[in-house]
Amino acid sequence: MLSEVSQNLEQDAVLRASIDRSLRHPVMFFLTSGAAWLAISIILGVISSAKVHTPGFLDGFGFLTYGRTQAAHLNALIYGWGFQAAFGVVVWMLSRLSRQECRAAGLILTAGHIWNLGVSVGILGILAGYGTGMPWMEFPSFCWPIILLSYFAIVVWSMVQFKVRPEGHVYISQWYLIAAIIWFPWVFITANVLLHVMPGNPVMAAGINAWFKSSIIFLFFTPVALGTAFYLVPKVSGRPIHSYSLAQFGFWALAVIMPWAGMQKLTGAPIPYFMPYLGATATIMFFIPAFSAAVNILRTAIADPEVVNNSPTLRFTMAGIIGLIIMAVAAVLLNIPGKSLELSQFSMSGYGFEILSLYGFFSFVMFGAIYFIVPRITRREWLSRRFIKWHFFLSTYGVALIAIVAIFGGIQQGIGQEAFNQPWSEAAQRALPYSILITFAWCFILLSNIFFFMHLTVMWLRLGRRSSHPTLLTSSHHGSPHGDDGDIDNAGSITVSAH
Amino acid sequence: MSFRTFILSLSTSFGVAWLAIIVIPYYKMRSLEPVLVEDGDGTNAVYIPKRAGRIADGAEVYAANGCYQCHSQVVRPTYAGNDMFRPDWGGIAGDEERGDTRRETNAFDFEGEKFAHIGVARLGSDLSNLARRVEAIYAKGDDPEKWLYTHLYNPRLKPERRESTCPSFRFLFKVTAVKGNPSADSLPFPVEEGMEVTLTSDARALVSYLLSLKKDQPVPSSLNFSPPSLATP
Repeated sequence: MLSEVSQNLEQDAVLRASIDRSLRHPVMFFLTSGAAWLAISIILGVISSAKVHTPGFLDGFGFLTYGRTQAAHLNALIYGWGFQAAFGVVVWMLSRLSRQECRAAGLILTAGHIWNLGVSVGILGILAGYGTGMPWMEFPSFCWPIILLSYFAIVVWSMVQFKVRPEGHVYISQWYLIAAIIWFPWVFITANVLLHVMPGNPVMAAGINAWFKSSIIFLFFTPVALGTAFYLVPKVSGRPIHSYSLAQFGFWALAVIMPWAGMQKLTGAPIPYFMPYLGATATIMFFIPAFSAAVNILRTAIADPEVVNNSPTLRFTMAGIIGLIIMAVAAVLLNIPGKSLELSQFSMSGYGFEILSLYGFFSFVMFGAIYFIVPRITRREWLSRRFIKWHFFLSTYGVALIAIVAIFGGIQQGIGQEAFNQPWSEAAQRALPYSILITFAWCFILLSNIFFFMHLTVMWLRLGRRSSHPTLLTSSHHGSPHGDDGDIDNAGSITVSAH
Repeated sequence: MSFRTFILSLSTSFGVAWLAIIVIPYYKMRSLEPVLVEDGDGTNAVYIPKRAGRIADGAEVYAANGCYQCHSQVVRPTYAGNDMFRPDWGGIAGDEERGDTRRETNAFDFEGEKFAHIGVARLGSDLSNLARRVEAIYAKGDDPEKWLYTHLYNPRLKPERRESTCPSFRFLFKVTAVKGNPSADSLPFPVEEGMEVTLTSDARALVSYLLSLKKDQPVPSSLNFSPPSLATP
């Protein structure tokens, strides 16, 4: 009996190692090129934020004008970093969860290069002055088919693996990830076909664009991050999910509520009256799926605070979940029609909310996943505990500063905008002090990601530690800052991981 | 739950919203029925603003340079904000000929545009009636085109606009050698001897577009929702 169990364990470990090996190249490609786009996006973010308070900064060059750098900054963050991090994590996780080696690694890798080509052409197009002027869809209009086709070529293999998986339980992470894989092309095709191919009423087009932005956050980045968190937390802490039925409830709440969100951005614009109100209601109700997932994940992890503190993966994931809670509170506070919606509709709060969801929630969970996945597929451990800590603290302080400053500064700005008896310049100047803080915060995040990018590159070059001891964040006084030295483990992940 | 049920439930939960707030409204709004101007409204024609040629090109320059990141183009009704109460946003409160022309934005205001630039944030002012403001206030008694060119070249030139954070659009202008007499549309900015600042076609298109932003034309009474205190006399 016992030998049978240990034989099973060994077979399991072999299977996991072979899955990891089969996906090494595409996953590492997505993660490293994603991290490079993240760096580009942050640099563009620093430039455009600086222009808000110092309009003379890098002034007079067409390709660096605020309207273009701001658009390029967000598009690089979304399509360059966000989607590629999601691809790396989703492709790997769905292989693991379907217990199948990936047989299409070459194709995925090729499609990943095409995706990068599409994004590069798009960003250059925006900077060169060929942007479409539709927020988050600014890429010149020939880019979207490239992006869409490479998307299908990247994710379709995960669907195939899911279909041919060995019979058994479908885990909650698979629900979230497969739903995200299906929702994204639906949203993307709808928005692009209606806006680029079948022109209709221009105001309704703006409404669809607002819905597109909201759906990308709530129906792609949110489910990907939640699916990842539901995978990582039980895996690292070694505990089952606190309540599985609550997890299912949270998933269906997300699926039913969030497709309605988004059009509150057009409150007062000439579209049918019910649509902005529906959008505001749905966005407010985001707290239902958000809190049910967040409570569940926190309850699972909190049973052992020591592990959360020591594991880079869990520390980042938990910070991401706290980001999700703040995001849900902000969704409620910013979208109450007649109270706060008119203050947040055209202020920095919207940007604050976007950065909070894209970086404070989604990216943190992705960082957690990257700290988990990369040692498994490269069979090297992270080199430096200090790099991870700096990445964590600088990122946390940076994104917290942006979220707090932009959301509250946005409300202040909105109050100024509503004060119709004052000249407009009063309202315009309210944004300045907050934008200075946002520039500082982006510098923090830039610094933090320099550490991350260097560290990831070293891992990509397979220069990580050859050890079977994972790099933990325990601070011991006499240990090496780079973690324990361990047995050099050439057999790699055959040994059952304790991490 | 089988995979088939999962996909079906997912498609239903998403598809209902998709049909209700995207597909059907988009289809229904594709061709708005023209609203007839009634006899009592003072004018008699079908209400449709015109936007073509250089104005349409200008909308593309507006989009490509990200003007919508800081400028909105919607005057919200009073239930959604205080835009209507600003003296020069929804129209001109004290227009010399028409009195108070302020009104909220309606769906016809964007007729002929590809995309309504509702806007992301208001780091700058609302531009729905920019052309009216320039003509009636900023460049009163002067050439509104010239005023806009100068403003785009250097938004902080005028002492009262020193605090403006609008970027300079110098790159929409070019410095060319003076051949014979200086061009009629050259701008009075200091450049080298024998050179002058002239316009690119992008600058012309953008300014045509900006000067088309007059969303306070009288509307048929069926479209006029202005509160009584603001109603046109």
